[in-house]
Amino acid sequence: MGIQEVQNQTKAPAYQRKAKAGNAEGFQKSLLENLRYRGQEEQEAEAKQAVTDAQSETKQATEKTGMGRMGVTAGIRVNTSAGREAMQTAEVRHMSYEESDHVRIAVTEGYTLKGKREKGTDDRVYVEAKYDDGRLEAYQVETTKVSGQTEHLIERFALETMGEA
Amino acid sequence: MEQKWSYLVEEYRTMLYRIAFSNMKNRADAEDAVQEAFLRYMKDEKPILNKEHEKAWLIRTTIHICLDILKSGWYQRTVPWNESYMNDAKNIYLPYQVRDDETLEAVLRLPVHYRNPIYLFYYEDYTIHEIAGILNEKEGTIKTRLRRGREEVKKILTEGRP
Repeated sequence: MGIQEVQNQTKAPAYQRKAKAGNAEGFQKSLLENLRYRGQEEQEAEAKQAVTDAQSETKQATEKTGMGRMGVTAGIRVNTSAGREAMQTAEVRHMSYEESDHVRIAVTEGYTLKGKREKGTDDRVYVEAKYDDGRLEAYQVETTKVSGQTEHLIERFALETMGEA
Repeated sequence: MEQKWSYLVEEYRTMLYRIAFSNMKNRADAEDAVQEAFLRYMKDEKPILNKEHEKAWLIRTTIHICLDILKSGWYQRTVPWNESYMNDAKNIYLPYQVRDDETLEAVLRLPVHYRNPIYLFYYEDYTIHEIAGILNEKEGTIKTRLRRGREEVKKILTEGRP
């Protein structure tokens, strides 16, 4: 039984057997077809992998900071540009809890947020985020440009800070 | 000289008390630990380089005193009179409002090697670099403890045990 299987595996492919029979044209044709088919398969696999990678990266980013949450909701068309201009990265000021108008401590999610309404402005909020992997990020949020229904973590927090201040 | 000590006590006592309380979980022992830390600072003749060094020294010493008390034979033979330490904890002044008492309680129930990094990182707002300096550990160790401690906090909150 085992010997039979080994013999089957070593048997030459169909197109080679055809070639031995003297059908050179048929061999060339089937070889070209095989190569073309293989190329298509590889391209499809690469494209699928790229899509999977992009999806998992977006998912990770969403879980970490809440960013990109609007754009990845399957089957629902949303305006991904709305609210994005409202938030800009800023220089980290190392603001203390005492100086902040609003503080969120999220131990189970691994971050803290500190917010302060900017002096001399009606709608600007400075937000500082600290993550347990060592990252420290700061943002300036224009709250008038933020939708009240936003699910974005930083934007939501900026709105809360405006309410607290 | 006396002015210097009173300034020092005024500057750090609240913060040190909170850190001591997170370890001792009762007011009397926390106050004892903070007093002992100030006494050791006054007696210590090592040069203090700057304000950050001074603060880190006091925090580190307070934590060591707490751990010494917790390890002592007397402490291990006795049980606290009042188990509900959260009543005491609510009287701690924090410079912000802690709305999630359940999570704070879970943090206070963590083993000491997770509790101190987590408490300093989240409730006293120290960076990983600063905590590594205070606890004399590598930054990588602190990151690992923060990550694992966070998982332990989740376990306490969901399953009720670390």
